[in-house]
Amino acid sequence: MSVKNKVAIKPIYISLGLFVVLVAAFTIGNKSFLSLYNAQTILNAVGILLAVGLGQACVILTGGIDLSVGSIMSLVSVVFMLLLGPLGPWAFPAVLLIGLVSGALNGLIVSKLKIPSFIATLGTQGILLSIAYLLSAGPLSVPDNSYGLVDIVNGAIGPVKSVWIIGLATFAIFFVMERYSRMGRGIIYVGANERMSYLSGLDIDRIRLVAFSMSGLGAAIAGVVLSSTLYSGYPTIGGVYVLNSIAVVVVGGTAMTGGAGGMLNTLVGALIMGILNNGMTVVGVDVYAQQVFLGVLVIFAVAVTFDRSKLAIIK
Amino acid sequence: MNETILELKGISKSFPGVAALRNVDLRVDRNEILGLVGENGAGKSTLMKVMIGFHRADEGKYILRGQEMSLSGPEEAIRVGVGMVFQEGSMIPNLSVMDNLFLANERGFVRWPLLDRKRMAEAAREQLEAVGLGSLDPRTLMRDLPASRKQMIEIARLLWLSSHYGAENPILILDEPTTVLQASETEMLFSILGELKKKASIVFISHRLEEVVLHSDRIVVLKDGIVVADAPQAKAEVRAIEMLMVGHELAAEHYRESMQGSPSGEVVLSVRDLAMTGKFEGFSLDLHGGEIVGLVGLLGSGKEEVCRCLGGSESPSAGKISIRGRETRFNSPKDAIAAGIGVIPIDRRNEGLATSLDVANNINLLVLARMRRGLFLSPALERKSALKWIGEVMIKTPSPQTACSTLSGGNQQKVVIAKWLAAEAGILVLDHPTRGIDVGAKDEIYRRIRELAAAGLSIIIMCDTLEEDIGLSDRIVIMKDGRMVRDISCAKGAKPTPVDVISYVV
Amino acid sequence: MSETTGSGGAAGGTLGAVSPGARAAAKISSFVSKGMNGQIIALAIVLAIFAVGTNGLSLSIRNLQTILSLAGIPLVICLGIHQVVIIGAMDLSTEGVISLCAVLAGFLIKNPFNTNNMGLWVIPVALAIGGLAGLANGLINTKIRMPSFIASLGLGWVAQGFSVIAGKGNAVKMLDIRFQNFTNGELFGIPNTILIALALFAILFVVQHFTKLGTHMYAIGGDEALARQAGIKVDRVKIIVFVITGCIYALAAILLVARLASSNPRTGWNQMFPAMTAVAVGGVSLSGGVGGALNAVFGTLIVTALNNGMVLMKISPYIQNAVNGIVLIVAVALTIDRKKIGIIK
Repeated sequence: MSVKNKVAIKPIYISLGLFVVLVAAFTIGNKSFLSLYNAQTILNAVGILLAVGLGQACVILTGGIDLSVGSIMSLVSVVFMLLLGPLGPWAFPAVLLIGLVSGALNGLIVSKLKIPSFIATLGTQGILLSIAYLLSAGPLSVPDNSYGLVDIVNGAIGPVKSVWIIGLATFAIFFVMERYSRMGRGIIYVGANERMSYLSGLDIDRIRLVAFSMSGLGAAIAGVVLSSTLYSGYPTIGGVYVLNSIAVVVVGGTAMTGGAGGMLNTLVGALIMGILNNGMTVVGVDVYAQQVFLGVLVIFAVAVTFDRSKLAIIK
Repeated sequence: MNETILELKGISKSFPGVAALRNVDLRVDRNEILGLVGENGAGKSTLMKVMIGFHRADEGKYILRGQEMSLSGPEEAIRVGVGMVFQEGSMIPNLSVMDNLFLANERGFVRWPLLDRKRMAEAAREQLEAVGLGSLDPRTLMRDLPASRKQMIEIARLLWLSSHYGAENPILILDEPTTVLQASETEMLFSILGELKKKASIVFISHRLEEVVLHSDRIVVLKDGIVVADAPQAKAEVRAIEMLMVGHELAAEHYRESMQGSPSGEVVLSVRDLAMTGKFEGFSLDLHGGEIVGLVGLLGSGKEEVCRCLGGSESPSAGKISIRGRETRFNSPKDAIAAGIGVIPIDRRNEGLATSLDVANNINLLVLARMRRGLFLSPALERKSALKWIGEVMIKTPSPQTACSTLSGGNQQKVVIAKWLAAEAGILVLDHPTRGIDVGAKDEIYRRIRELAAAGLSIIIMCDTLEEDIGLSDRIVIMKDGRMVRDISCAKGAKPTPVDVISYVV
Repeated sequence: MSETTGSGGAAGGTLGAVSPGARAAAKISSFVSKGMNGQIIALAIVLAIFAVGTNGLSLSIRNLQTILSLAGIPLVICLGIHQVVIIGAMDLSTEGVISLCAVLAGFLIKNPFNTNNMGLWVIPVALAIGGLAGLANGLINTKIRMPSFIASLGLGWVAQGFSVIAGKGNAVKMLDIRFQNFTNGELFGIPNTILIALALFAILFVVQHFTKLGTHMYAIGGDEALARQAGIKVDRVKIIVFVITGCIYALAAILLVARLASSNPRTGWNQMFPAMTAVAVGGVSLSGGVGGALNAVFGTLIVTALNNGMVLMKISPYIQNAVNGIVLIVAVALTIDRKKIGIIK
């Protein structure tokens, strides 16, 4: 059973349309955009965007926002490098756990202290960043013995890169959770109408906790993949991903008001962002101008998907 | 002899499903206090909103000081001297009295670029003097004042705005001004109104008939959107007014009385001495299986708060609740739901449904656990459940996947009912179940309520009119000022009339 | 209008059959919420803790001067942000706008890359740029009807992007000594930056308490719907406030460029977090309508003293971030009016 949006044209079709338009535009701009090599490059980047975006989507679906995903990615990248030596393959689940716990911390602060999520995550991003810096002020590289482990992430099975598999697996997990689990449905209910959900006996605090934890998990997966591809981890690695994760979610058609959109939208959003980032570079747009585009795109996407009937007063 | 300031002629106003005002004639004369009374839903607040231009009448004329006009909104109304003091108040709590008095009209006090606060304070004092608050420091913050003072300041602001815009003999409309006051403050209010009457006209709505009879120059009684009486105070008498408010007949089959049963002996819900500080106390009730109990009372009687305690969304300060003999405590709605209690809220859009989601998701919200195959939710089971309830409750919708926002009010109500029926609630609390629903759908809901009771469900109901309460219930419990005052049987074939009952309510 | 924090209001009405402990807590809460009492106590506590920790070093004249000079620019920024918070909105575009103004100013003051030498004329130009950014924020919020926090977040990214394009990623040396001398100078032992900040404070204080604009700002923050109903032109006031804040960011940008003697697209980085913390710690409630310029001053002093103390005690700068984060969360948790905001997301 899917969640329907009452907008006349479903946002996901708009996003898909945008996707097609962009592919066409960039191909016209530079024929090599459509090459196999370029497609692979794009998909590599999409894997990371998708993971962190899916996590952010969980929080945005409840009507909140997670500004700490970048710091979680950074912390995870640093810890990952540190644990690869001593823990070997167990480093993978260990850092995923760290992501979950960081997310849970966010969830607890928002639901128990009852402060807005953007302040809570603004605060925790500072805390988590501090921890990352304390662990290592500078970049850490992969310990000598562990290249094999890291190359699992960098490797491929036939033509299919591991990164894409990880991306798809992450998508599968989040998608199944959203569509076919009570917790996922609970996230949608809370985002659609929190007061009603409370009166109908849903455990709002627990749902929030799960949403933020999933966000932490998504950021952790993204962090592991990113540091694996770069063979290093450092505290500023995740910086730009806060903006990217929000853009991925919002451009895919998920409304910041909550309760509308979802993982499928986020998949499309990740593809669009991947194409945008790559396409602009291929076509020769100033690397620095890309941030301007992203900002404008986010504003536009939010303006279009925002459910104004939900907020009597827009502050 | 008295000149008419405002005359409403033939005013009619309808909302979807409800004709709120039907061909109403009302006049407000110079220097008079007009009392407006009527049951809940009689049309009083709609009439007031038409007077201040908040609603535009569908038909009829609005004649102010001899000139026919059509107000663009409350802002214009104030400029021509018609203003209302709402129950919720319109003053900004973190600003001072004088800032509120002159809000958005500070131009007269500007000594560019600053505000001449000294002059503002003096002017404020003058205005406060006129409402008996001459000793109040105008720099006091609104939120530090008690309700009675706040109300007078609202009146002061209206008076000032009228004189500021040059409207003489303004009309001040007060919506239930005495509800928030103690007895001594009420006396003071009316003595000040008596003074203000010399340069303004006052219309006040109240359910306290003795005080209306005592303090009005003229009284107008509304019932079902029609003016049923308009008489000077000398001719008014509380009992007569009560009878006019509720009328004499009770259409029996309107509420499907023939389907009414007699409840079983088992007590499914027992409440003892339930209380919430400041709202109600000493509430006790034994609810039997298959019984429909109507909770009757005015705004402020405590009945809404009782229902919130039963639903778990608020905690009582004292008292016990037992379900089938077992004492329980509700810390949140989840607990109440686990005990089998379902509340269908008055505000179904905001509290009953997620309108952006589809019918199926709304119906299945409480029973998702049953929709699982293995670990995951099964779309097939969800669909089956949705279709089942759509059929049972006869929801008119193109498909289970239609968004609830597109359904009519009556069908939205049915979705909410379906949700709680699916959850197998044994006790339902229905908060104004037919509000805003058209006549045809109302009948379906009455029928459904009867069927539920016959099947053994116990229901606590709060209706839009006394007539509806009496018609649907097996008995009614009347609350007034936070206390239970009466428990009257409404058995099939032996129903009291609203007239018999109204004196306990108001 | 009061300068109090938002949390103390409940103390008055709910006393009754309550335990003595709860009654004492309520009394303390209401004392702390009156005027600047709470902030003064907090500042005193912070100073005391570090005085003990540094054996009195933190209270030396030299160090107090340092605190003041460190507080100058953050106070300017805090004064900017807090106005937006008073009307119940949010401005997260701080860093981007400062960076943009810094970069553009950098190219207009005497610099190695071109022949511009606008000297003091750069100030009005920068203010105009900041004001335009604020105007954009205001318009997106009021005309496109987007919540200010996402509107300003997006705009901040746009501004940051423009600053990087314009700056071509390079740091630009500032060669006009006058600016540097001014920002690093002092008057009677008080650093010039804090004097500018205090001058700004004085202006805003007067605006908030003695002008129509100020009254309207607090009205909107107190209850926007009622303010609109009363006839206040809410959209216009909001836009004006955003523009003023943008101009204040521009002022901060010039001071930063002057102090560092260079401008680059990173000028604005890490400026928002301490300023936002200062806003919350000072008692300007995120729900709006409560707190004012004086709160901003105290909040900035407390946060600056806190960070200064940590430096003196050789606490790792990385931990400082964490401390600021915790302080921010706690300060907001204490001052937010939850009943007003309704559902917390």
